[in-house]
Amino acid sequence: MNIMTWSSLNAGVATPEIFLLCATCAILLIDVFLSDAKRHISYVLTLAALVATGCLLVAGYSLQPQLAFNGMFIADPLASLSKLGMVVGVILMLVYGRGYAAVRGLFRGELFTLTLCALLGMMVMASAVNFVVLYVGLELLSLSLYALVALQRTSSRSTEAAMKYFILGALASGLLLYGMSMVYGATQSLDVFVIAQKIAHDEANRLLTVFGIVFIVTGLGFKLGAVPFHMWAPDVYDGAPTLVSQLIGSAPKVAAFAFIMRILAQALEGFAFDWRSMLMVLAVLSLVIGNVTAIAQVNIKRMFAYSTISHMGFLLLGIMAATPGGYAAAFFYAMTYMLTAAAGFGLIMLLSREGFEADQIADFRGLNKRSPWFAAMMLIVMFSMAGIPVFIGFFAKLAIIQALVGLGLVWLAVIAVLMSVIGAFYYLRVVKVMYFEDPTDTAPIAAGADAKLVLSVNCLLLLVLGMAPDRLLTALTTALQFSLHPGL
Amino acid sequence: MDMKTIYLLIPLAPLFGALVAGLFGWAISRRAAHCVTIAGVAVSFLLSAFVLKGIVLDGVEPFNGTVYTWLTVNGIEFNVGFLVDSLTAMMMCVVTFVSLMVHIYTIGYMEEDPGYNRFFSYISLFTFSMLMLVMANNFVQLFFGWEAVGLVSYLLIGFWFKRPTATFANLKAFLVNRVGDFGFLLGIGLVLAYFGTLDYAAVFAQAPALKDATVTLFPGATWSLLTVTCILLFIGAMGKSAQFPLHVWLPDSMEGPTPISALIHAATMVTAGIFMVSRMSPLFELSDTALNFVLVIGAITALFMGFLGIIQNDIKRVVAYSTLSQLGYMTVALGASAYSVAVFHLMTHAFFKALLFLGAGSVIMGMHHDQDIRNMGGLRKYMPITWITSLVGSLALIGTPFFSGFYSKDSIIEAVAESHLPGASFAYFAVVAGVFITAFYSFRMYFLVFHGKERWMAKDHHAHHEADAHDEDEHHHGLGPNDKPHESPWVVTLPLVLLAIPSVLIGYFAIEPMLYGKFFEGVIFFNHEAHPAMEMLKEEFHGPVAMALHSLQTPVLWLAIGGVVASYVFYMVAPAIPAAIDRFFTAIGVRKLLEEKYYMDHLYIDGFARFGRVLGTVFWKVGDVLMIDGLMVNGTAKVVGFFSKVTRRLQTGYIYHYAFAMILGALVLMTWWLGGVLVSQ
Amino acid sequence: MTEVIFYVFAAILLFAGLRVVTAKNPVHAALYLVLSFFNGAALWMLMQAEFLAVSLIVVYVGAVMVLFLFVVMMLDINFEELRKGFWKYVPVAGTVAVVMAVEMALILSHRAAQIEGAGLVDHPAGYNNAKVLGQLIYTEYFLPFQLAAVLLLVGMIAAIALTLRKRKNTKYINPANQIQVKRNDRVKIVSMPAEERPSVEAPKADDGQA
Repeated sequence: MNIMTWSSLNAGVATPEIFLLCATCAILLIDVFLSDAKRHISYVLTLAALVATGCLLVAGYSLQPQLAFNGMFIADPLASLSKLGMVVGVILMLVYGRGYAAVRGLFRGELFTLTLCALLGMMVMASAVNFVVLYVGLELLSLSLYALVALQRTSSRSTEAAMKYFILGALASGLLLYGMSMVYGATQSLDVFVIAQKIAHDEANRLLTVFGIVFIVTGLGFKLGAVPFHMWAPDVYDGAPTLVSQLIGSAPKVAAFAFIMRILAQALEGFAFDWRSMLMVLAVLSLVIGNVTAIAQVNIKRMFAYSTISHMGFLLLGIMAATPGGYAAAFFYAMTYMLTAAAGFGLIMLLSREGFEADQIADFRGLNKRSPWFAAMMLIVMFSMAGIPVFIGFFAKLAIIQALVGLGLVWLAVIAVLMSVIGAFYYLRVVKVMYFEDPTDTAPIAAGADAKLVLSVNCLLLLVLGMAPDRLLTALTTALQFSLHPGL
Repeated sequence: MDMKTIYLLIPLAPLFGALVAGLFGWAISRRAAHCVTIAGVAVSFLLSAFVLKGIVLDGVEPFNGTVYTWLTVNGIEFNVGFLVDSLTAMMMCVVTFVSLMVHIYTIGYMEEDPGYNRFFSYISLFTFSMLMLVMANNFVQLFFGWEAVGLVSYLLIGFWFKRPTATFANLKAFLVNRVGDFGFLLGIGLVLAYFGTLDYAAVFAQAPALKDATVTLFPGATWSLLTVTCILLFIGAMGKSAQFPLHVWLPDSMEGPTPISALIHAATMVTAGIFMVSRMSPLFELSDTALNFVLVIGAITALFMGFLGIIQNDIKRVVAYSTLSQLGYMTVALGASAYSVAVFHLMTHAFFKALLFLGAGSVIMGMHHDQDIRNMGGLRKYMPITWITSLVGSLALIGTPFFSGFYSKDSIIEAVAESHLPGASFAYFAVVAGVFITAFYSFRMYFLVFHGKERWMAKDHHAHHEADAHDEDEHHHGLGPNDKPHESPWVVTLPLVLLAIPSVLIGYFAIEPMLYGKFFEGVIFFNHEAHPAMEMLKEEFHGPVAMALHSLQTPVLWLAIGGVVASYVFYMVAPAIPAAIDRFFTAIGVRKLLEEKYYMDHLYIDGFARFGRVLGTVFWKVGDVLMIDGLMVNGTAKVVGFFSKVTRRLQTGYIYHYAFAMILGALVLMTWWLGGVLVSQ
Repeated sequence: MTEVIFYVFAAILLFAGLRVVTAKNPVHAALYLVLSFFNGAALWMLMQAEFLAVSLIVVYVGAVMVLFLFVVMMLDINFEELRKGFWKYVPVAGTVAVVMAVEMALILSHRAAQIEGAGLVDHPAGYNNAKVLGQLIYTEYFLPFQLAAVLLLVGMIAAIALTLRKRKNTKYINPANQIQVKRNDRVKIVSMPAEERPSVEAPKADDGQA
């Protein structure tokens, strides 16, 4: 029997994850000994841990994929870049949400540890190349999120949202697991690469595999919030504390993208013909239902939920293309959407204060008169989400549409564009409310200088990236090139 | 100073003047404005003359190069570049010389006008634009110049923008030119599409290879590419050079101040079309169909526009119709492949027509802005210089031997006679008949203005005539019964004298090198075998003196003399005859036809324009208001809003509804795929 | 023989599962769940996965379900109220469920879904299911095993975060503080100057004037 050692596991590849886990445990322990007045120590430690994880990711970045833990864990550019995106997303959530959490009694050690555990789950999702690990990573994320949604115990809305999220999430997990077991049965393997190889050599039972894919797509659809598995999203976004909404709406979308890449694009690539049509249905439904329903919303968090649904429709369109260009476009979309959504929720929290949520569109009335700067920031976010040129959202949509047109799927591109036009309506309505209506709320903006600064940088980044999107797109394309067919 | 700098300086000097006078016109004095613009044009003229001298005498190689790359799209470069060869150099000299004369003349003519500085700015800007047009080495710059001169023309026709007639005229000129430009732009587009470049040299080099290329305009109609391209380009020329049926704007353009009538609407801009076709001779030579089209259009213009000149009573309109007719002559020459003859006529015409216009302007000044020739008469006593120079101009126009117009016009007639195109016989008839008509209306005007009784003493009975329609206007107050006209100041008469000199001499000296020498060698191409007109002319040519003497044996000269004599008899000896003829033609309706200018204006204004307005109104009411605003914009919004409310109701908040939706989704996916996979198994 | 036993257990499992949903009494429902767990364990037994079968019974039946029963019995929940409208949805839900079941059955029983050589593995004598599982978990599946541990940790944190209550107005005694108390904390001896007995004086004459 082989002796298992650090080096035989090649565990160094997973240094960021291992560090993050250790840091989480340390923060968990330190936090116990801190009084409420000194809670900011945990906060700073959490941020430090996140930054250090980010640094480790950057330091360990390599174009050549490396396997670890008996071939269950991979560190490739796809994983590293998406993890970096997730780390940034989580940092943004904590920075924007600090003041918001403090006045609502959420500024507790559990917030930090659960968030870090969620991040760990996401990172595992991005790096796993074994169905069991993928599933455990997903559960780690989900469980942390369920708890985070319910963290504001005094709020019945939060509890209700958490309950819905938990039960539906369990259902989705069950379906996903069922699908995975079918694929296991058909291929007799849980390893992503082995499955891909068996399919390529025609050694997999097609009927069983595709049967499994149906359930896998269902589970993935739930995680992304694609129609018809989207119904949890508006209630959860609305009911959860805004900083948790931000967490759900930003980083996990990147994780879900990587997750889908591992399962569909890597393991089940050979059956792309089958899952493409399924994703297409989900994508079109998401675009239509998401955009159309968003119009009728008066709550901006619900509006964001529907807008996320429609954006996930776009993301699915990119994946559905099943070409390197389509994957790259979807990756680009996920990353930029993460930044955009983080900024959007950040602005809601910026306007909220003790006893006031700022979660109605009407709360943005006359923002231009109250704070021209942040009205402009919100304008950038809205324009980017609407896909108006020079903002990054435009190029994300453009890349997807290019991929579709390249495949000759012009009708899909037309639907996507039409739905974007409809979507522009509700984004522009927010802009209209900010600039052309008189403020009903005149209280000064309560957020701290750190949140304001980071938020401004975040929003301006949407503009700056929009002016030079090539770099990011090229980097992501290269990353996918080296990741999807590593030839290990 | 290297040549490139000179070439750059030639257009930029007038531009500088235009900018100074235009942008800082409010700040500088009138004197400063005309000094700076005249200096700019003078520099331009001197340098142009230097360039011409270099090419003619010193054998300087033609320059063809890019000065500035404006932009590159899909590998196609849009350049600012100069092609300076003999044709360009000649055009540059003509343009800058006439422009200089007009600048000087304007000092006197516009003396009392409040828009003095603006006017100088415009004419300098025009000079710049025209130079850019003639110096272009590619289609883009050509089009730029083409549009820029059109713009300045528009601005100048409407210079007195408070007059409704002027704004109507400039609108008309603009719209009619748009029609031509549309064809022109399509032509350029075809060139770009099939040749892949917009550079003259590259296009001409490829032209023979594409001789047999065809283009399908619409299914079932396959045409030769070059024919279509040439006709489209020529449609542009028809607009700019006022060829039938796009000529209607030119007579109305006389609403502008007389100096610009001379500069733009006689000497230079309207000849841009002629210049362009000459420049494109390598393309036109490859398409007989296009050439025939050009020939027929030119012949129609030459003859029928001359008829209209006979009945005009506004001194400027007479000259304007003669310009139309002469442009027709040039176009006929183009159609007969005698490009060099056309350019030659362009040059001589530029001088004598500018002279005639400026002379007319001088008369108008003497008459205190009364333009009706029926109110004039006997002016030779009061305005001797104007009288002599106008006589010179008229003689040149009708083609009196040894005058410049004789050589160019006679060559055109000869060239048409040698042409074998199907339309050549009609064109020959038109140009020969045109000689008589030209002579008749030119001298009708001459006799009415400078000879006979001094009719302004008793002009009241003409008070309601059409030409006096602007009587209330400050510029048309006319001469009182007891006033005497005065000769114009020297700034007016000097240009007349300076223009009279080339009007007399240039033909004699230039005909041999320009038509039969090596002047246009390598610049203008014609197919010796298919279109031998120039070869034949060359064989028959034995020097300018011999040509003049030979003309005594041709009907052309006698027709011209006949025209002069007829006009003398009609208007000096027996005014009853034209009155009787007039009654006869009125009775059979011809007079009405001529007065209404063959009803072209009615066709355009009441026909096309009204139809366009009705169509537009229909589209606006039905298409825009009902369909787009009503159904599409508001309708879509309503439908989307409705569905939005419906889909919102799906979000019930009940967890089992959500779970049910998920299961249903999975079921649909399964069923969707079940059909596919099970069938394929 | 094995197949027959499989179908018997499977049928009971399905029936128990259905009853979990349909039973009116929540205690009955919980008990049906226990039954279904037993049947699941039996199926695992058939596959000679005795460790899994035993742990299923020990963990779920022995611990989780007992705890669950306690909770159900202690809470006074009106299940009838919660189940209102249940029968209203049965036709639609039932149809979907039947269609789904039929489709799945069609697919899984289709000959194209059959995997060659699939079947139970004959283990050699002395085969130890627990040992093999342990070896796999601690070697090959080291990573998911560790992550599962983290998952449990998250569950713990979540449970504590969601249930631990510190009421501000709760009055309780901190024993540590009690022990650490010093004499001075309890009794404070204040020295005060002795006061004279106040003497009773006759009201002054001018008081009466008021």
